[in-house]
Amino acid sequence: MIAREHVHLKSPGASRFALAPIKKWLLIGTALGFLGIFILIPLIAVFTEALKKGIELYFAAITEPDALSAIKLTLITAAIAVPLNTIFGVIAAWGIAKFNFKGKNILITLIDIPFAVSPVIAGLVFVLLYGSNGVLGPFIEANNLKIIFSVPGIVLATTFVTFPFVVRELIPIMQEQGTEEEQAAITLGASGWQMFFRVTLPNIKWGLLYGVILCNARAMGEFGAVSVVSGHIRGLTNTLPLHVEILYNEYNFTASFAVASLLALLALLTLVFKSFLEWKTKK
Amino acid sequence: MGITITGVTKKFGAYPAVKDINLEIPTGDFVALLGPSGSGKTTLLRLIAGLEGLDTGSIIFNGVDFSFKNVKERKVGFVFQHYALFKHMTIFENVAFGLKVRPRKLRPSRSEIKDKVLELLRLVQLEHLADRYPSQLSGGQRQRIALARALAVEPEVLLLDEPFGALDAKVRQELRHWLREIHRKLNITTVFVTHDQEEALEMADTVVVMNHGKIEQIGSPAEVYERPANAFVYSFLGRVNEFRGAALYNDVAIARDSAVEAVGYIRPHEIGLSRFSNGVGIPAEASHVNAVGSTVRVVLKRLDTEDYFEAELTSGNFRELGPFHKGDILYADFTNIVVFEAITDSEHSKEREKVTVGAFSAFT
Ligand SMILES: Nc1ncnc2c1ncn2[C@@H]1O[C@H](COP(=O)(O)OP(=O)(O)OP(=O)(O)O)[C@@H](O)[C@H]1O
Ligand SMILES: [Mg+2]
Repeated sequence: MIAREHVHLKSPGASRFALAPIKKWLLIGTALGFLGIFILIPLIAVFTEALKKGIELYFAAITEPDALSAIKLTLITAAIAVPLNTIFGVIAAWGIAKFNFKGKNILITLIDIPFAVSPVIAGLVFVLLYGSNGVLGPFIEANNLKIIFSVPGIVLATTFVTFPFVVRELIPIMQEQGTEEEQAAITLGASGWQMFFRVTLPNIKWGLLYGVILCNARAMGEFGAVSVVSGHIRGLTNTLPLHVEILYNEYNFTASFAVASLLALLALLTLVFKSFLEWKTKK
Repeated sequence: MGITITGVTKKFGAYPAVKDINLEIPTGDFVALLGPSGSGKTTLLRLIAGLEGLDTGSIIFNGVDFSFKNVKERKVGFVFQHYALFKHMTIFENVAFGLKVRPRKLRPSRSEIKDKVLELLRLVQLEHLADRYPSQLSGGQRQRIALARALAVEPEVLLLDEPFGALDAKVRQELRHWLREIHRKLNITTVFVTHDQEEALEMADTVVVMNHGKIEQIGSPAEVYERPANAFVYSFLGRVNEFRGAALYNDVAIARDSAVEAVGYIRPHEIGLSRFSNGVGIPAEASHVNAVGSTVRVVLKRLDTEDYFEAELTSGNFRELGPFHKGDILYADFTNIVVFEAITDSEHSKEREKVTVGAFSAFT
């Protein structure tokens, strides 16, 4: 077997390569078929369903007050969760990648928890903590705060679920970079901030952006955890994915798909941007 | 700037990377820290730079205690072993970095920065590469840029960690000359790390030989080479043959019952070879003869103890002796042997074993 492989290797253009196209197309075909069934067709379905009753109805569906309020809440949530996770992500990744300390592995494992547990469970944990019957319930009520079934709860749950994206993206990049360039900056007289903005950040910027857009996509699309803590109050605590669900449950398919198409568009945009970044980092 | 290091120790966890270092470096000196891998050279260099904090002792620059001052305050130029150039900046920007990060009051104007950077690039003879990125440079060019970048902030001490470690022999030779030349022009106190004894002996004014985090000897290249303080220094500076036990007592007249164990060292070129016994020679059989180039290296086996050793002679001497071959019997004269007390410290004896293995592996 091995010997024969060897012979093939030595004579390029022989049968080893003659077989290749078939194998290649079989593989590519399978992959494409899979993609088509599970991704492309559903995507097309979303848009055809959304536009089935005409463009006016489509726009009406996405501009009616409840939809607008859902869009607004989704944007607000992302606008808080994404920057928070970006800042903490950079800090955590820096600590983990560039310093040695006890319990580092435990910390890395902890960071993965939001990915490991079901979002619904995550939402339930927040309800158990901050709900009126929860551990911190009395304190929250005493201070006239509202977390569960209101915007803060949604933001909290979203932040929790999307925490790992930035950190996970940055740790390997920062580890690979090591600390020499940063030390060089310090020996040349740079302050800590100058070092960060002139040396550390430029080196991680594409990876960081990549983490941020993935984090954003998830923050806007998160359903499970948000669904548990939101209470589904129309016009108040509905994010886009929740709004889609409500419309769907009311058999308002066209409107439901119209709103869903917004999320699909967001996903497409994210992918385009992501490919751009991948191309950029490879350069 | 003069540097005085007194009683400096640095531990990583429980492991002391450098132990009780005392070192005086006068202004303008060109110092080599020489030692085997893991001997604490880099750690000592980083302690001087302030990149590592010391546990005990003090580091004094020109009479001022800098032991706990940070890197920035020390005004040192540091050249990293792997250059650590900023990948995302051009060569020009790399060299300009130290000037650009100065606080506004101390920062030179744009045109002053430009002049200064171009002047430095001329000094390292790479002016034409100003717009390139580090990835577009060869190793030797990167090394020179790293030096230009360190010099831009006009440091009073220049610290270089294995500056030529990653370069091929020819480029290395060129850069050695060039670095000496720069030192002559600027006369900055310079400390460089190397594990290459030839490099240290050739370049430095002062050689500091380190082993196991300690300084074994400080002196000029001639001093450390000709008058090594101990067995380690002797064996580290150049090729050596090591003899102990019976072999040693046959060579030199020392008291056999002496309480301390003795070790004898002799460099290959110090061994005299002759065809006939003249009273002092020990008979040995040539087991390998390598006559390439101007020196002839011979590996021989002592007939008395069966130990192998290496001798070296010029091709002239080789011809005079009448070319010999594998299997021929010669008489080796060991009168130049240097005898040291064997070190009993367990750590050191470990090191000594390593040296022995190293010395003999060169023959087989
Ligand atoms: N950051 C660190 N953490 C733990 N141990 C370290 C650290 N840096 C160095 N050491 C240890 O200290 C000892 C001395 O290291 P150092 O880097 O100073 O050696 P060196 O003489 O520069 O060796 P080389 O020639 O291989 O570069 C080594 O045993 C090393 O393992
Ligand atoms: Mg080192």
